[in-house]
Amino acid sequence: MSEQAAVSERVQVPQWLLQPELGMCPCGCVGKRKKGSYLRKTLNGGAGLLRQVMFSDDTARQDGLLQRIDPRVKFLSVIVLLVAAGLARNIATLVAVYAVTLALAAASRLPVGFFVKRVWLFVPIFTGIMVLPATLSVVTHGDVVLTLWHWHGRAEGFTSQGLTSAGLIVSRVAVSISLVVLLTLTTPWVRLLAALRSVGVPRIFILIIGMAYRYIFLLLNTVTDMYQARTSRTIGAAKHDGGARAFLGASGGALFGKANQLSEEVHQAMTARGYRGDAKTLQSFRLRGLDIAAALCCAALAAAILIGDHVLGS
Amino acid sequence: MEAEAAPQTLATDVTFECRDVSYSYLDRYPALDGVSLTVRPGERVALLGANGCGKSTLLKLLDGLVFPSSGAFTAFGHPVTEDTLEDEQFSQAFRSRVGFVFQNSDAQVFSPNVREEIAFGPLQLGLAPDEASARVDEVIAMLDIAALADRAPFQLSGGQKKRVAIASVLATNPEVLLFDEPTAALDPRSQYWLTDLIEQLGAAGKTIVHATHDLDVLPRIADRCVVFSEEHRIVAEGAPEEILADRELLLSVNLIHPGSRLP
Repeated sequence: MSEQAAVSERVQVPQWLLQPELGMCPCGCVGKRKKGSYLRKTLNGGAGLLRQVMFSDDTARQDGLLQRIDPRVKFLSVIVLLVAAGLARNIATLVAVYAVTLALAAASRLPVGFFVKRVWLFVPIFTGIMVLPATLSVVTHGDVVLTLWHWHGRAEGFTSQGLTSAGLIVSRVAVSISLVVLLTLTTPWVRLLAALRSVGVPRIFILIIGMAYRYIFLLLNTVTDMYQARTSRTIGAAKHDGGARAFLGASGGALFGKANQLSEEVHQAMTARGYRGDAKTLQSFRLRGLDIAAALCCAALAAAILIGDHVLGS
Repeated sequence: MEAEAAPQTLATDVTFECRDVSYSYLDRYPALDGVSLTVRPGERVALLGANGCGKSTLLKLLDGLVFPSSGAFTAFGHPVTEDTLEDEQFSQAFRSRVGFVFQNSDAQVFSPNVREEIAFGPLQLGLAPDEASARVDEVIAMLDIAALADRAPFQLSGGQKKRVAIASVLATNPEVLLFDEPTAALDPRSQYWLTDLIEQLGAAGKTIVHATHDLDVLPRIADRCVVFSEEHRIVAEGAPEEILADRELLLSVNLIHPGSRLP
């Protein structure tokens, strides 16, 4: 291509592009407002996830009690306490364990309000609704403590046996979630993965979890970019119609393609640095006096839960 | 200055040798067409060409990540094929001698945090954790990224990710460094820093092959330029000054526009 020809090869701009488009009403009047779409809410949820992760990172680096304990000891302790809580059959025992988790949260410098909210936000949703029918006399027969209706002259409603069973399940779930949240908020993600590896979880499994965790944020950014690109070209109010659903489907497809391409590149990057199917990671754990003391305390707590529960039960 | 067939050389004198190499994606989209190239130890070679001309594919081929559909590729005097890389000893030797900095740092920085990322290569190549950890600390200090050591990759900017990607490759101390568009999408300070680093690594005797269309820094980071046409062939080779002086050539391969000003 000669230089002159290349210079003369200029973009032919259509006439309509050179004229201003009729935009907003020049009088500046305000139109109808609509609530945000489900798409935006979902993406905001994604941003919320990122904030939570960064918050967990911050709490895991604080100088609290649980942050000082070896992640392996913490992980095994949580497993032991989960089993003990799972075997407990008295609400009083579980309430006592929950009180211990609150004390541990405070000793680990976690905001107790946040800790409580994080647990109790999900317990009613996932467990409360599920056990609600079991509190009624039509499912769990027993002494009706609150009558809701009558059936052939017999009072029907909440039974004390049903309420006790529901309370037991809800408190067991709350204690279990509290223990897991304590572990995740006081252990950096990388050290938690390394701890899992050192207690025998297969290496490839750890590698996959680690990479999924790393790339979920990248894909989240990609989705946000795609949504923002669409928003910037959406003139007028966003509609929650077939077009929005089609966008969602198309974005999912495009994302799948990008994820596939990325996974290929990641594999090449790993191969280029000597990966041959058996990933090795840095591990620098050393048990100290505090860790041994923590392990003993955990064992004592688990024994106290089981013995105390047995005493209360009898 | 037209491309010529690679001369016959002794294996020990040659780092990479491609003879009449072709490669197509999905057997349908050509990326390299009859490419012959020889890279000698200590050379700094720039692969120049427009987008999609095959530079990145050639770098992947030089790193044994893709294999030619026709032609032959040898590294350090040994053929590099899927078969030869199945040999654990050869694969380990090859991987420890050749390092590749990808254009997309997001693909390269895959570990949960920076320290693990830099340790990945040394650990895969058999260094003991203590030794790998010491090496990681030294590379972190050299590239001035101590503040990033415990961060997750999603908390890094583009320039920081590039530094981490380079650190992760340098930690294996390869003889040959392959850079794919090293300065692309970097801010001026990061670009300058990276150019300076490549210059220092070259001065230290590393063999460097990089794909770029950034002509401004060529005289600093290349001894020899290899120019690709948009038809995926090598059309010229020569010293940076020679190549940059040939405006007709640069125009014909879409490296400059008539409105461009050359460095």
